[in-house]
Amino acid sequence: MLCDDCKNKPASIFFKEVLPDKTVELHLCEECASKRGLLVTKKLSPVEILHKLLKQQSAQDERVICPRCYMSLAEFKRVGRFGCSQCVATFDEHIKSLIKQIHQSDRHVGRKSTPGTKKGLEVYKLREELKKALEREAYEDAAKIRDKLKGYGIEDA
Amino acid sequence: MLDNIRWLIPSKKDTLPCGEEREIVVSSRIRVARNLDAIPFDIKMKPTDAEHLISVVRSVIEKKVDGKFLDLQAMKPLEKESLLECHLVSPGFVKKGKPASVFISKGGNISVMINEEDHLRFQGIGCGLNLVNLSSEVFNIEEFVGDNVDYAFNENYGYLSSCPTNIGTGMRASVFMHLPGLVFTNEVEKVLKGALQIGMAVRGIYGEGSEIRGSLFQISNQHTIGFKEESLLERITKLSNMIIDIEKKARDVILNKARNEFEDKIFRSLAILRAARTISSGEVLNLLSALRFGVGVGIIKDITLDTLNEIMVVSRPANIQLHSGEMLEEQERDIKRAEYIRKRLGDKV
Repeated sequence: MLCDDCKNKPASIFFKEVLPDKTVELHLCEECASKRGLLVTKKLSPVEILHKLLKQQSAQDERVICPRCYMSLAEFKRVGRFGCSQCVATFDEHIKSLIKQIHQSDRHVGRKSTPGTKKGLEVYKLREELKKALEREAYEDAAKIRDKLKGYGIEDA
Repeated sequence: MLDNIRWLIPSKKDTLPCGEEREIVVSSRIRVARNLDAIPFDIKMKPTDAEHLISVVRSVIEKKVDGKFLDLQAMKPLEKESLLECHLVSPGFVKKGKPASVFISKGGNISVMINEEDHLRFQGIGCGLNLVNLSSEVFNIEEFVGDNVDYAFNENYGYLSSCPTNIGTGMRASVFMHLPGLVFTNEVEKVLKGALQIGMAVRGIYGEGSEIRGSLFQISNQHTIGFKEESLLERITKLSNMIIDIEKKARDVILNKARNEFEDKIFRSLAILRAARTISSGEVLNLLSALRFGVGVGIIKDITLDTLNEIMVVSRPANIQLHSGEMLEEQERDIKRAEYIRKRLGDKV
């Protein structure tokens, strides 16, 4: 079958559109399908989309700041990376459409994290406390902290 | 010298866990990105944070899996390059300026990069089409670590990553395929364009920006959010099977139309590999492509795919030096590479 548009090349793409009042059927060659915009010849990769979207800046970006790592929205747009786990919630309304355009979805439906007991945070804090206790030579405190860390399975503190 | 990672270089004894369609699918890989809630992400991380992270994760993983931790800063450039050639770390990881470490399981098929762009990158690699089995191995260790630390997680966006392009599942699954049939019949572009249309990325075997050589292609998911992990693995497996079918048909067409010509190409490639006294890694990749085709369609019967996989990894520039146990200039490398391949394929000249 020849292409409906150019009537020259063989049709390799079958296009069917169902409208409320009629159904349109087209048999096209690759070139004509591309001319009609039915084929995306060069799709941007997620990284390319990200870079393009990050260029859209506004004067207010400097004022939206993550309370935890102090990254501003402006900085995020410059570097294209989040500074901590709090950034996403802080920039939520500004990044929702960005994530949707990159991934064609903004809703996670996959695996979920096991409800947190904040062990990671605890261990991290305890290690910091231990370091400070050792610095001020408070060995009794340090021993107590070590015991707590052992409770989390950390033996090498 | 170099003993630190020499054990990683494959030998005849070692085989990675294998899946199906090995004559076309060289290997499958799964990578899962995770960050800890309590520690700043890569860009805001201090060296002390990076060290803490390594020590916390190390203490957890050591309890569960048999393997070895390698400290990136203590590694020689050649060793880093070798890990890259074995696909156990990423190009971004070896360039890291801050404390970083990689865990490699005893079998060499599971690795965990600590302080890559994300705090943790769990990775599994196996030969053949093997995504589902690999994913259970990778998630097994990911879950164990998750039982001991809190991952950065958001109800809407899922697992949080340093870069928005990895948010959600944090998972990227890749299938490395050898498609000489599609290359010779000029169908490869059409098929791969189709893969792009349904949200898959197509690259050369050494990742983003790498050149496509030896008719080897990597297909992986572009999007990481909006689907369940299992359904993505199913989609990539289905797409791979479709490509495998087309490749098999293309191979039949080639053999029906030009069997003599292709047999000649295959046996000439084998003859060069068995006789060469000096050979570059690029030439090896191209000759191995013809040989793999010959083994795949049963024209060559006395060489296994395992041997070809081994040669492909060992003959890379850094690995051949580790295999020889000495640092070599380019010309010496080419000689050692030719020597090693002659030995593996049976020197007939």
